[in-house]
Amino acid sequence: MDKLQHRKQVSKLIYDRTPMDLAELAVAEAVRMKPLPGNRTATCVTAEGWADASKLTWEVRANSRQHYRRCRKRSFLCFRWGRCADNAVRSYKYSPLTFLPLTLFEQFHRVANIYFLLMVVMQSVPAISSLRWYTTAIPLILVLMVRGLKDLASDLARRKSDSQINSQSCDVLDSQRFCTVMWKDLCVGDVVRVHKNQIIPADLLLLCSSEHYSLCYVETADIDGETNLKYRQALSITHNELTSEPSEKGLADFDGVAFCEEPNHRLYTFRGYLRWRGEDHVLNNEHILLRGTVLRNTEFAYGLAVYAGADSKILRNCGKLRVKLTHVDRLLNKVVIGIFVFVLLLSFFMAIGHGVFESQVARDAPALSALTPNGDFIYSAFLTFWSYVIVLSPLIPMALYITFDVVHVVHSLFINWDVEMRWEKNDSPARARNTSLNEQLGQVGHLLSDKTGTLTQNHLLFRQCCIAGRIYGDASISVEETQQMDLSWNPFASGQLFMSAPELVQQLKARRCPFSKEFFTALALCHTVMPERSKEGIAYKASSPDEEALVGAARDLGWVFHSRTRDNLTVLELGVTREYRVLAHLEFTSQRRRMSVLVREPGGGLKLYCKGADMVILERLLSGCPCLEDTERALESFAQACLRTLCVAVRGVPEELWEGWSKILTQAETMATSERDSTLETLYEDMECDLLTVLNTKAMLCTHMQLLGATAIEDRLQEGVPETIEMLRKAGLKIWVLTGDKTETAVNIGYFSKLLDPDTSLLEGQELREILHSADPGYSVSKARQADAWCVNKEMVWAKTALVISGPELAEFDKEPGIGAKLMGLAAQCQSVLCCRVTPGQKADIVQLIRKHSSSITLAIGDGANDVNMIKTAHIGVGIAGVEGGQAVQNADFSLAQFRFLQRLLLVHGRWSYRRISFFLLYFIHKTCNFALVNIWFSFFNGFSAQSMYENWFIAMYTAMYTSFPIQLFALFEQDVSAEGSLRCPELYKVGPRHQLFNPLTIAAMLAQTLFTSLVFFFIPYGVFHDSPLDYQTMAVTVSMAAIFCVDAEIVLLTRYWTLFNAIFLCISFSFFFSVTRLTQQPRLFLLAPDDYFFVGVSEKAFADPLVWLTALLAGWTAALPALIAFTVNIIISGPDKHRVHTISTPQLTEFRSKVKRIDSGRRSPRATSRTAGKGDVITSGTARHRGEPLLEDKLTADNGAIDLKMMPRDRRLPPLPPREPKPCEARV
Amino acid sequence: MASGYNAKEEDGHHSGAPGNGGGAGAVKSKKPDNTAFKQQRLPAWQPILTAGTVLPAFFVIGLIFIPIGIGLFVTSNNIKEFEIDYTGVDASSPCYNCARNFSWNSTSSCTCSVPFTLEQPFESNVFMYYGLSNFYQNHRRYVKSRDDSQLNGDQTSLKSPSKECEPYRMSDGLPIAPCGAIANSLFNDTLELYYVVNNSKTPVTLVKKGIAWWTDKHVKFRNPGGNNNLTVAFQGTSKPVNWRTPVSELDPTDPENNGFINEDFIVWMRTAALPTFRKLYRIIQKKADLTPTLASGRYVLEVSYNYPVRSFDGRKRVILSTISWMGGKNPFLGIAYITVGSVCFFLGVVLLIIHHKYDNRNNSADIPN
Repeated sequence: MDKLQHRKQVSKLIYDRTPMDLAELAVAEAVRMKPLPGNRTATCVTAEGWADASKLTWEVRANSRQHYRRCRKRSFLCFRWGRCADNAVRSYKYSPLTFLPLTLFEQFHRVANIYFLLMVVMQSVPAISSLRWYTTAIPLILVLMVRGLKDLASDLARRKSDSQINSQSCDVLDSQRFCTVMWKDLCVGDVVRVHKNQIIPADLLLLCSSEHYSLCYVETADIDGETNLKYRQALSITHNELTSEPSEKGLADFDGVAFCEEPNHRLYTFRGYLRWRGEDHVLNNEHILLRGTVLRNTEFAYGLAVYAGADSKILRNCGKLRVKLTHVDRLLNKVVIGIFVFVLLLSFFMAIGHGVFESQVARDAPALSALTPNGDFIYSAFLTFWSYVIVLSPLIPMALYITFDVVHVVHSLFINWDVEMRWEKNDSPARARNTSLNEQLGQVGHLLSDKTGTLTQNHLLFRQCCIAGRIYGDASISVEETQQMDLSWNPFASGQLFMSAPELVQQLKARRCPFSKEFFTALALCHTVMPERSKEGIAYKASSPDEEALVGAARDLGWVFHSRTRDNLTVLELGVTREYRVLAHLEFTSQRRRMSVLVREPGGGLKLYCKGADMVILERLLSGCPCLEDTERALESFAQACLRTLCVAVRGVPEELWEGWSKILTQAETMATSERDSTLETLYEDMECDLLTVLNTKAMLCTHMQLLGATAIEDRLQEGVPETIEMLRKAGLKIWVLTGDKTETAVNIGYFSKLLDPDTSLLEGQELREILHSADPGYSVSKARQADAWCVNKEMVWAKTALVISGPELAEFDKEPGIGAKLMGLAAQCQSVLCCRVTPGQKADIVQLIRKHSSSITLAIGDGANDVNMIKTAHIGVGIAGVEGGQAVQNADFSLAQFRFLQRLLLVHGRWSYRRISFFLLYFIHKTCNFALVNIWFSFFNGFSAQSMYENWFIAMYTAMYTSFPIQLFALFEQDVSAEGSLRCPELYKVGPRHQLFNPLTIAAMLAQTLFTSLVFFFIPYGVFHDSPLDYQTMAVTVSMAAIFCVDAEIVLLTRYWTLFNAIFLCISFSFFFSVTRLTQQPRLFLLAPDDYFFVGVSEKAFADPLVWLTALLAGWTAALPALIAFTVNIIISGPDKHRVHTISTPQLTEFRSKVKRIDSGRRSPRATSRTAGKGDVITSGTARHRGEPLLEDKLTADNGAIDLKMMPRDRRLPPLPPREPKPCEARV
Repeated sequence: MASGYNAKEEDGHHSGAPGNGGGAGAVKSKKPDNTAFKQQRLPAWQPILTAGTVLPAFFVIGLIFIPIGIGLFVTSNNIKEFEIDYTGVDASSPCYNCARNFSWNSTSSCTCSVPFTLEQPFESNVFMYYGLSNFYQNHRRYVKSRDDSQLNGDQTSLKSPSKECEPYRMSDGLPIAPCGAIANSLFNDTLELYYVVNNSKTPVTLVKKGIAWWTDKHVKFRNPGGNNNLTVAFQGTSKPVNWRTPVSELDPTDPENNGFINEDFIVWMRTAALPTFRKLYRIIQKKADLTPTLASGRYVLEVSYNYPVRSFDGRKRVILSTISWMGGKNPFLGIAYITVGSVCFFLGVVLLIIHHKYDNRNNSADIPN
């Protein structure tokens, strides 16, 4: 059993795409679980089962509630005792009593806070204190408060959601009677009754259920996102013993003891044994109902709670999200550490300066020498070092991190709130699950996308079929335009069949064609779908949309799959109920690529229905099958229309063959696991294969596989995918599609979704291998492509080439060292890259490869469990909350409902965030440093004595009140270009991936500016105050004023989006400075505490002094001058560009569109396609071209003969033109 | 260091835990509010900035700053100022002897007379400053070395001054009033001005009140126990070590100017910003008649030389200056305004040229991709 379980997981991992496969595996496996005669499940104790029995230390006694109440886990502060958790979820961290100590404890884990606490302590040492204690304490307390409030708010939210979960009700057996209790009161060892459609409250050991053999079905969507139903089955012994008697009494007397593993996070394994009535019965995953799953199709099930609450597998599983640091974060940390080191260095130099001053100058000045502590200048310098650490501590932007946090959270909220990223259809908005990656969204260089369910809808529609060589339906008519057939005769018709083939319906109703009858019988029988009957009709539960579409189509056309029991399938064939007995399920594997079902018809005959990939089926047919050629042609046309195809075949099975075969099957079932798999493999092969040769000798009744036809399912592109991809490409993103699908499908989707231009050539297979192995890949490609007509220049070759790599090739490349770098070099120049047939592991490897060989930010987007690996590996993981459910979303940093929302997420939110945050950080560091650095220049004129340039209150309020609001509002609201503008000019996005706004260079420029600013702040007042009767305190106020003027002028220059809040808060913080300064320099306050308010009367005098104003204005203005210059230069340089791109492209484009509209048939020759669209793309993308150069089109026609048609994509439909009309982009940047 | 300071661990924590706890949650409509704030569509003024709108700013600033600068410069130039260095460094200087022989320990004062000539008459009020150089009144330990409570007349602080005053806190077991280094180093030269006509000296009236800030005189500095009988009030305290007289005898003639509220003392206590500074010493009031406050001619400055500065290469000066709305003579600010204004103007021109160059180049070149 374990082996099988293991194999299931392996196949899950290695085989991409195909929830279908997974479902089939799951069901096939479940079918195999069926108890064979002889009660095998209970007694089959394998060697492995007992080998680690010593590890099974978790003992659960049924019906011993008191015992488990006693050993509950409890905790007080950091002490914990007790063994097993109760069933309550406690994700909250604080209680009213512990909130304050815990939150403080947590916050002082952060180095920055400890540093500032240290500052506060140091400031209260009189010998070194150069500032009063509150200069640091006030900002620190503010930071702690904001942080604490944030913690408190999120903790309250957690409490709320906890109590919602904990107060759900469930039925627990309490002395012979089931009574309803809340989830949190459930105990390990309780016997629980779960009703249909109830959520399972704890990890339960299934004892018995209302169904036969105590089977029960669970939906695990909340755990692994798979929507198909899973089978679970009780042990035979419990089933037999507990369902025979009246269940409540029996259950109350149940005194089994389950021994199992200690609680762990492994969702798919469970080991243990049940000791009951002196016998041991092996338990595995099949006997466990996990918390969080939902009971379906089963009236009720009884279970023994094994793991409760925090011990349950799902809660053990919801680990923390991996901490992802963004590029900006890392750079910021470096800058802050740099500043810290700088502070220490400066303090050191200042201390030396102080030593020199004390020994050379102060020695001779009696007024100063008397003040040197102990008269020892070295000791004095030592003390001064610490004084300078204090004086310069405002250089370290303490409030930055907390403000940064707040900004991040609000940006994430903006994403959550965006109605334009909300999918009306299923009411799912975008979610930022990780609130710290926003700015990185604006820097994405590589987009790695899954195909199915991400680019495509994974909502499959049965569009065409080919029965006996004849094609029904027309996929070239779009779904919306397809005429609905009149299926009112069929009460089960859902109206979701987008195929127009009245002749087929006629044929079916008249029962004229045995082929079509068999065809739909096959569709109705050969699958693993579970039907769910409701008042509205029958809903099919399938994990794979493929199967759902097929079974649904059969239903709509009159072959209604009605119900499934363990052995029987009921089908209503045009209203006639027919029951088929299932003899064997020939499961799907990725190697076999087909599945079959062997049934006994109501008439008694045996039939094998088989469905699978065309290649596999066709090669198993009897040669000379009548409509083989027609079907092959049909398959080809289906493939060209981007439809997924499956072939359906049937064979009659002679009775004697079945008898022989079933005997071997029974033997095989009892074999040891390792042998069994291979035996089954061959056995299945035998059954499905054309056994003509064997049978001819044995039986005259010769039957063989007969082709019935082929199905064509459309996996439609999601709405807006081509437009999104086109836009993202314009934004400079490299898009890689990673899929488990086959190459042709992927390439087709590539062309279809505008990932590849119609005239893009593919570089794949042998050619790729050669190029990679050559010394200079770039050169070889140019050389190889020189013959091609459209090789105008080197860049053009690359711009029109796409790499196609398959999984096996990738694995091959993996082994060779150095090839990764070459591959990346090649890929960097190519238009895009398609990776087909890749496993989830390889998807992650590709992400790793990109991360290793380029500095670009990777974003992985996917929807299925197979994308989880990739999503976790990439810098940013985006999950599509689509058909495949929760797994991808659970692991993603962002979740979207549709692929097309990606453009808004990146081009609007990401771009804004990056811009806002970059400028916010630069400005924030600038504003804290420039005012603090003045102290250094002042030192040269005060004997390096660590005298502060500012009043204490100013230092305390500067970051917290005078300058923080405008920049915070900037970081929240700033928009250089509106959302529409950002989408209209995707090129604007390129700033982010190139790290143009926040990089070492901009930081250096900012620091240089800071240096200049601080020099101006000091030396202009110096010129005025030198040899003047104005005192130190007036100068302090003057410099403060200058700093405020400058900082406010700079934010005015920075802000381009002036909301009312910006203006108001700018005025408020500006007037704060004046009012608070006046307030703290009030005589009344001075009289209260002369030591703290010793600037009494200064501002009163200074604010009335024109000299002070003129000095401060001049200094403030001069300091802001570099910002204004940068601002102007930026406008001069960037202004015209933006104008021009759009004014030029508009008229030509309209002309081109009108031309295209005339040709509107679905299909056209490859050349026509490439020509028109080729030119269009050149024009729309605004590619640089020299005037004299002939247009691509001209080249094509001129060198007509030289065109290598192989280089052209195969015949395909012209991708639909986006209906949008580009508007001129405003030149607001 | 600060790298530890991020919120992410916690974000991870709560986004992981509750969502899964049983898979149940209240089914609410997740429809976000369509408000201007949440949709980031707050009405806003978005200035459309082009070179055409930004470049004029430079010229405007230049055009504003240069006249201001000229105005300041002219105002500053109109201020008459006369400076006499009486440190006595040169042997030829009248105070040379005093400077050489004098130290804090001298008991008797040394006087010297410095003659000088005013070429031009000084109209309006004339402010008489003393200036000190190389005197670090802004040294942190010096600045701190005072007790504001004591100076505010607080009795407890009078008897036990703040520790900040060390080593000028106690003297012979008695608390020093006023304590601290600033008070101790009070500038104590006496300066007298005589107008010399035909070898006869006429003293110029120097007003010694009204030189301190109002808030200082009335709020910050107060004598202990009111202003009655300062000798009693300061009983049990000691004078600062460098002082010749106790604080209660700073100006025995005027009780309103004695003790802590002595204006010379208050002016000294308002520490200077930079090591070279001047402090207001006296005011020569404009006369009622039309004669200039200080007529041109010969004057003699009589100095009782009590304040040694030679040890630290300091300089002592006396400055006579008229004042204007912007205070004393200050050529720097005017020049600075003119300079910055010109720089703005110049930058404006440079950027204009760049703008034209760039624009032309763009007109002829291809559209950049």
